[in-house]
Amino acid sequence: MRRFLASLRDGVGFDILLVGAAMVFLVAMAGLPLIYNVLMSFQQVDMFTLGSLIRPWAGFQNYIDVVREPAFWLVTKNTFIFVFFSMGGQFIIGFALALFFAQNFPGASTIRGLFLVSWVMPGLVVGAIWSWILAGDFGVLNTILKGLGIIQSNVFWKSDPAFSIWAVVIANIWLGLAFNMLLLSVGLAAIPRDLYEAAELDGANAFQRFWTITLPMMRSTIGAVLSLGLIGTLQQFDLFPAITEGGPANTSTVAQYWSWQMSFQLYDFAKGATISVMMLVLVLIASIIYVRSTRHEVRG
Amino acid sequence: MTRPYIPWLLVVVALALAAVYLFPLYWMYVTSFKSGSEIFANPPTFWPREIDLSIYPSVWTRRTMHVFLWNSTLIAAGVTAITVIFGTGCAYVLARYRNVWVDIGLFSVLMLQVLPASVMVTPLFVAFNQFGLLNYPRTAVVLAAAAKAMPFFVVLVRATFMTVPRELEEAALVDGNSRVGAFFSIVLPLARNGILVCAILTFMSSFGEYIYSKSIIQDPSLQPASVGLSGFLGPNSTDWNAIMAYSAIYVTPILAVFVLLQRRIVSGLTSGALK
Repeated sequence: MRRFLASLRDGVGFDILLVGAAMVFLVAMAGLPLIYNVLMSFQQVDMFTLGSLIRPWAGFQNYIDVVREPAFWLVTKNTFIFVFFSMGGQFIIGFALALFFAQNFPGASTIRGLFLVSWVMPGLVVGAIWSWILAGDFGVLNTILKGLGIIQSNVFWKSDPAFSIWAVVIANIWLGLAFNMLLLSVGLAAIPRDLYEAAELDGANAFQRFWTITLPMMRSTIGAVLSLGLIGTLQQFDLFPAITEGGPANTSTVAQYWSWQMSFQLYDFAKGATISVMMLVLVLIASIIYVRSTRHEVRG
Repeated sequence: MTRPYIPWLLVVVALALAAVYLFPLYWMYVTSFKSGSEIFANPPTFWPREIDLSIYPSVWTRRTMHVFLWNSTLIAAGVTAITVIFGTGCAYVLARYRNVWVDIGLFSVLMLQVLPASVMVTPLFVAFNQFGLLNYPRTAVVLAAAAKAMPFFVVLVRATFMTVPRELEEAALVDGNSRVGAFFSIVLPLARNGILVCAILTFMSSFGEYIYSKSIIQDPSLQPASVGLSGFLGPNSTDWNAIMAYSAIYVTPILAVFVLLQRRIVSGLTSGALK
């Protein structure tokens, strides 16, 4: 017993205690619920069996039911639109801004830091602001676009089925842009300057320098940023209740919001769990890419 | 010899980009300064014709914001406390060693970081229901949100511990300190700033926590400000100056902290996020 206490105070027991406490907490609050979620997706869960662990076995019935839902393919399409265009917008604009702020001018890092404001704001507040900017009749975005001559009449971003998903995409690009830019800036700063000088001496123009130095040197950063972007867009939830609530007629519902609606608005916990298990497969793919792209940094 | 002029041109462009980017924030404040009729002016006014602040006190009392903000503070404080207490030690150990166990630990932390809250909320709700934790909804939200916040905290703080020289800790051990003593008197003070920044980041992000609170807390007197905001926000909202005033009251403290600590937050994020 004394040896045990001594190891706790002055040996490897101290390390195990520190890691163990965190791990026990994380397993209890994240690991076990995850397994429980998979279990629930194979059970019949309703208001009567909600309180018990042993429920009637459902096999793959929940999965079949989810796929047969009329909204299933629409939600799948929306999820891909949301993920692909959010990531694309965040990455391309973020990369352009990162390249711009990598130029040497006074105040570059301070002004760049201002962009991170979006990152600390509550998602629901961001959603509220964008919901107002995108409003159809009195929204300021319509006014600006009309002033620039891009559109002739008001676009009803939130209530037009053709635009509702794009309303959320626009808000999400704004929200995730800063983080993309920050990570890409870190990657840019790590490229040795003399590579560019050597290329310039050899007569490479700006485009060639970007294509042959910047992009190859940034490969692991880009991998990490893209996978973090995928993870981030799949985690994005707050914008949906704030801007469109998934409507009109599910045209802006994505998987994560659908799963929540199933569980907490229709109280169909089995379907909610099933949809989130399906989504988990996507998240796992993203995280494997992420872990692979950061692996050498993690070990280093 | 136009070289000296180019940086100033770049500064102007940079400021213009920042202005475009920060326009939504500006629009939030400007809308909240407008009167109820001016927000529906067509075309919208980019500067209020008449600054009308009367909406602030009325939103504050009508929406019982002091209750919501107090709950947000409690939840964020709880999440931050749990995250710092458990996460700091974990990050320290993961930074101190390099072996296969640490790799496994880091891998599992990274995997937990990617789990969306919307995936976790269904099983957590059902499990909390079974354990009777739903009778203490704020505690339940704190536990759930802490598990969400901790992996990110561990990754960032681990990077901070990496910058503390091993030699200092070893010197303390040679001088007769125990591991516990060396940790609390040498390593922690040296990493204090980094931990503090990450703790503030954790606090700020859990101050805006929405999905767990919305799903778990039913009693309006226990709900945080995010759920309070969702109460009068929807696709068909019209009282925009009230919503924007509510939002402004909600985020101004966060923005103030961010502006004050901007440099530290950015450097803390850059050092941790990709290493």
